[in-house]
Amino acid sequence: MESSQNEGIIRSFVEMADNLVDDFDVVDLLTTLAHRCVDLLGVSAAGVMIASPPEELRLMASSSDVMKVAELFELQSDEGPCLDAYRTGAAVQQENLRAETDHWPRFSAVALEAGFASVLALPLRLRTTTIGALSLFHVEETPIKESEIVVAQALADLATISLLQHGVASEAKIVNEQLTHALASRVVIEQAKGVISERAGIDPAEAFSRLRGYARSHSLRLVEVAQAAIDGTLEPKAWAAPPDVQS
Amino acid sequence: MARIVAALEASRGDSDAPARYCQVTTDIVGVSGAGVMLMSGDVPHGSLCTTNSVSELIEELQYTLGEGPCVDAYKTDEFVSEPDLANPARPRWLAFSPRAVEAGARSVFGFPLREGAARLGALNLYQDRPGHLTDDQHADALVMADVIARWVLDAQAASPPDTLAPGLETGAEFHFVVHNAAGMLAVQLGISVTEALIRLRAHAFGENRLVQDVSEDIVARRLRVS
Repeated sequence: MESSQNEGIIRSFVEMADNLVDDFDVVDLLTTLAHRCVDLLGVSAAGVMIASPPEELRLMASSSDVMKVAELFELQSDEGPCLDAYRTGAAVQQENLRAETDHWPRFSAVALEAGFASVLALPLRLRTTTIGALSLFHVEETPIKESEIVVAQALADLATISLLQHGVASEAKIVNEQLTHALASRVVIEQAKGVISERAGIDPAEAFSRLRGYARSHSLRLVEVAQAAIDGTLEPKAWAAPPDVQS
Repeated sequence: MARIVAALEASRGDSDAPARYCQVTTDIVGVSGAGVMLMSGDVPHGSLCTTNSVSELIEELQYTLGEGPCVDAYKTDEFVSEPDLANPARPRWLAFSPRAVEAGARSVFGFPLREGAARLGALNLYQDRPGHLTDDQHADALVMADVIARWVLDAQAASPPDTLAPGLETGAEFHFVVHNAAGMLAVQLGISVTEALIRLRAHAFGENRLVQDVSEDIVARRLRVS
C-alpha cells in the first residue's frame, strides 16, 4: 500500500480509538467509520447497520444521504449482504451483482438500479458477539483487495468494541442515541438560522429557506451547511438574496 | 393497569400523542398537573408535553435554570419528592422553588423517564397542596413513565436516521427559538454560539425572566443583549 494510504489508515485508527473513552456519539462514530471506508478503500458508498432485538437490523449511519442509497441500506433489514454477514458473523462478498439472481432478488435489483455493481459486507463482531454489519458498495465490479478487507474489518472491530464498551448494543439505547443525535442536528440548523438572519438582516424563516436552497443546489446535507454557517466557513453567497428568476 | 389502558384508549384521537399521555397521567394519578422533560448529557432539551400553565412554567423554569425535580430525577436516576415546596425540610432549588410556589405548585415529584439503560428525561407531577403521593399514585406514575418512555422511543424508531420523529417535532417544545436567538447573539457580539447560549441564560436569570421569553424578544428584534 502507498504510504499516504498508510497514514490515512493510521489516522483513522487513532480517530476510532479516541471513541473508546467517554463522551462519544454513536451516530458520529459510525458515520466516521462509513466515511473512512469510502476514503481509504475507494469504495463508492458505505453503510452501518446495528441489530436491535429481536434480530432487526437498523441503519445507523451511511456515507451518503442520497435517497436511493439510503433506501438500499434500509432494505437490508430484510434481505441482503448485511443480514447475511450479521447472521453468519463472516464477511460476505458479491463481486458482480448482475450475476446475483436468487440469493437477494430485491436487494440486487435496487442496488443495480442505484448504480452499484459489487458489494462487500463485514460483520461488526467481537469474539462470539455480532452486533451488526458494515456494507461497502462499489460502482465497478472490482473485488476489494484482501489487504483492504483486513483494514476495513479492523476499523469495524474498533467501532464494535466502542459500541459494546458504551453498552449501546441495546434497542432502547440505540434509539435514544438516534433521538439525541437528531435533536442535536436540528439544534445546529436552528442556531444557523439565527446566525444567518443576523448576517443577512432577514428573519429565521427566510434564513432557513436560503440555507436549504444552497444545500440542495450544492448537493450538501443541510446540517453540514448549517454547521459551516455557525463555524464561519460558509461562503457569503450561501445566504445572499436569491436573484430574481423567471418561473 | 387496566384503568390506564382504558384511559389511553378513550383519549385516542383527542390531540397529539404527547399531550394525551400527559393528560392521562394527570387523570390516572390524580394530581394537579404533569409535564415531561426530555434530557440528555446533563442538559434539558425541552418538554414533551404539559397539561396546564403551571406545569408548563415548571418545565420552563427547569429549562431556564437547569434545576428542579425533573433535572434531579434524571441526574440521579431516582424518584424525587418535595412534598412541601414552600417550606421544604431541606432547602433546594433556590431559584426554582419560589417561582413554582408563586404559580401554585405546593408539592412536586420527579420520576426518571427510562427504558432499560436508555435514559430519556423525567416525568414531573405537581399538586396544588402540600403532601406526599400515596402508594397507588406512585405506582400509577411509574407505569405512566414507562408508557411515555416507550412512546417516545417508538416514535423516534419509526423515523429515518437523523430526523426528529414528526410526533416529537410538532408535539414537543424544544425551545428552538432559544437557539435562533443564540445564533443572532453570536453574530451581534462576535462570540461563539455556545457562549451566546450562556449569555442568554445569564441575562434571563438576571432579569428574572424565562430564557424562552428573552429569546423571543431577541428574535423579534425587540431586545438587544450585551
